Amino acid sequence: MVKQALLLVLLGGIFAVFYLVTEDLSELYNNFGKTYFQLNGLLETGSRNLVTAIYLDYRLFDSFFEAGILLVAVAGIIWISKHDLNEKNAQFMLDRYKTPDLFITFSRIVYPMMLVFGFYVIINGHLSPGGGFQGGAIVATAILILYYIDHDRETNIKQIVTIEKLVFFLIVLVASLSLLTRGEFFTNFMPLDSSVASKAIYLVILNILIGFKVALGLWTIFTAFLREGR
Amino acid sequence: MIFVPVYLVFVPILAAMIIFLFQKPKMAYLALVAQGVVTVLAVWYFLTFRDDYSQTFFTFGGWNNLIGIGFRNDAISISFLFLSIFIWWMVLIYTFNAKKDTRNFLFFLLFLEGVFFGLIQTNDLFNMFVFIELTTILVSILVAYEKAGDSFRAAIYYLLLNTAGVLAFLLGIILLYYSFGNININQITTMIASSDLSETTTVRFAYVLLMSGIAVKSAMFPLFTWLPRAHAVAKSGVSALLSGIVVKGGLYLFIRISLMFAAAPYDTSMFFFAIGATTAIVGVMFAMTQKDIKQILAYHTVSQIGIMMMGLSSTDSLTFSGGLLHLYNHALFKSLLFLGAGIIVNVYKTKNIKYIRGVFRAMPLLSILMIVGMLSISGSPLFNGFISKSVIKYGLTDAQYWLLQIVNLGTATSFLKMSQIFFGPRTLSYPLVRKREYLPVALLAVACLTMGVLHVPIADFVLDVDLAKFKPISLQYVFEYGLMLGAGFLLYKYVIDKDYKPVQWIRNFRISFETANYMFLLYFTVMIGVFVVYPML
Repeated sequence: MVKQALLLVLLGGIFAVFYLVTEDLSELYNNFGKTYFQLNGLLETGSRNLVTAIYLDYRLFDSFFEAGILLVAVAGIIWISKHDLNEKNAQFMLDRYKTPDLFITFSRIVYPMMLVFGFYVIINGHLSPGGGFQGGAIVATAILILYYIDHDRETNIKQIVTIEKLVFFLIVLVASLSLLTRGEFFTNFMPLDSSVASKAIYLVILNILIGFKVALGLWTIFTAFLREGR
Repeated sequence: MIFVPVYLVFVPILAAMIIFLFQKPKMAYLALVAQGVVTVLAVWYFLTFRDDYSQTFFTFGGWNNLIGIGFRNDAISISFLFLSIFIWWMVLIYTFNAKKDTRNFLFFLLFLEGVFFGLIQTNDLFNMFVFIELTTILVSILVAYEKAGDSFRAAIYYLLLNTAGVLAFLLGIILLYYSFGNININQITTMIASSDLSETTTVRFAYVLLMSGIAVKSAMFPLFTWLPRAHAVAKSGVSALLSGIVVKGGLYLFIRISLMFAAAPYDTSMFFFAIGATTAIVGVMFAMTQKDIKQILAYHTVSQIGIMMMGLSSTDSLTFSGGLLHLYNHALFKSLLFLGAGIIVNVYKTKNIKYIRGVFRAMPLLSILMIVGMLSISGSPLFNGFISKSVIKYGLTDAQYWLLQIVNLGTATSFLKMSQIFFGPRTLSYPLVRKREYLPVALLAVACLTMGVLHVPIADFVLDVDLAKFKPISLQYVFEYGLMLGAGFLLYKYVIDKDYKPVQWIRNFRISFETANYMFLLYFTVMIGVFVVYPML
């Protein structure tokens, strides 16, 4: 009881100060970044979606390590969940008698749509909201639904993990191509003054690779969890 | 040439992935190759830029440096770089085994190395956050690597508490970006110096958020509770790595953020000195009462971090470099002690110092090396701990000086207690020790002695400070140290060894995760009180 009261007092105090902070936010606001991206984002990176412009060009170095977090988490979960990587053919706990038929039927309808939507979000990442990270998550969800449709699916985790690592290599490789063409690390390999359309080639390639990597990573994670729950 | 920092980050990471992909135990040699490449690159880089560090700045993609991510090096980051390369070498040699399948371990170890190099060299706050997050995840995997119940619990404790701290750090970055329009550390430093933005409530609040996140990462009082748990259950090599260098990552952030806000009119030195002193005293109190050899060492890390904070919190540049020097020295002797303790624990199959006896007769060489480490940490003349403690002491007032002496007394006491393991009859006839494990321990002991005797040229070369007035040995110092040992022995004999109720109580005192979170909120509120509310009144 004393603890709860203390917690209330502490959180109340922190909230009060936070409220004070929001008072002068509007005067403080420095919009340097915002105006820079609005004015130069499309011309410099070739991406209409400024979020993509930031994570695939201006701050690509961060994106490697955002993808790296997933990579490390996957390796960590597989190591900790004790199962040998060589163990093939996971039998899942999904029980076909407990999954309603309606759900399975609808899954069959939804599955291709989700897959297509996922690819759409990945490929159009530089034009509309979305991108590799988001699209990859959608594709991974579609693959998860696949387990409901087909209970006896075999998954070779080892292969997926290998491909995931290779894709990470490819991402770093494609991103460092710019060192050869422009003498700069981790940016678009097209020259800075090339057209928006040709710059988009790089964005699409990188979005696809990142989407692929994220989908594979999430796939491995939930496969490991499904095995664990068995 | 200017891109060497990028190679430093990616060489270990790519090597880690290649080792993971090829499933041959022999691939482990690639780790040594990668480590060699990193060493050569770092030396080459240092020799090129040591005269003028301002040339090291570059931005990825060649963008406007307020928009893109920049890397930058200076004397502090370069010395951190060499220190971490050295400790990673030691841990790699210690754990290296080409016969067993260690590729998972090497993967995490080398990945962590690359990420840590990035954390050291980055000049961008958000990039820093990404690296801290990745470090947190990697360290919790390394802690849980043994897959025992204890290590799982410690890893989850570590992960959750540190994630809370890292989130506070992120919130701070958001507020800074809002008010400064960029997150380039250099640029924010100049903007703070040239405008009065740092006096607004928002920036003060952002400072509090950043600093409370860092307090968790660097294990300051009262948020150090994750450290003894995590460092005591990990493998010995990993413990050495965590205590030696990874926990210093938090202190490195502290240095960076303090320097960033150096021009701000905040009164930080009093507050952080108090935090440092409390951390040191509480840490040493816990350390004195422990019986588990790795717990003792882990709690000493806490108390030594407190001593470093005493130095680093100072605005005086000499005391500050004393704190920095103590940080480097601590990395050396604490890894030495952890690696040595690892060998002893392996041989005796117990961590309880009550049941380990006769180490000197069974393993004389190892005992001598361990004694070098103990003399260093307790601040004996001629050893490295003594030099850095003297530099810190030099800048303290009388009251502060006695606080530090109390901590030293506690350190001496607990290492007198630990030295009991050397005495007694030989219990094991032929201890099985791999020679490879001796090499890093011996190298670290040599490094401790070198830093103790040749501190003047080393400090001048690396940090550009003149320590000529600090002598490694004199009759007075030896006498003072002897006095300290005598007092420590009395304290050990008549208080600790008798195992009174309060001693037992401190030994068994554990802070639950729930309480740790209350502590975090409390610490946060106190910081708000000191840095936001008090200046407004």
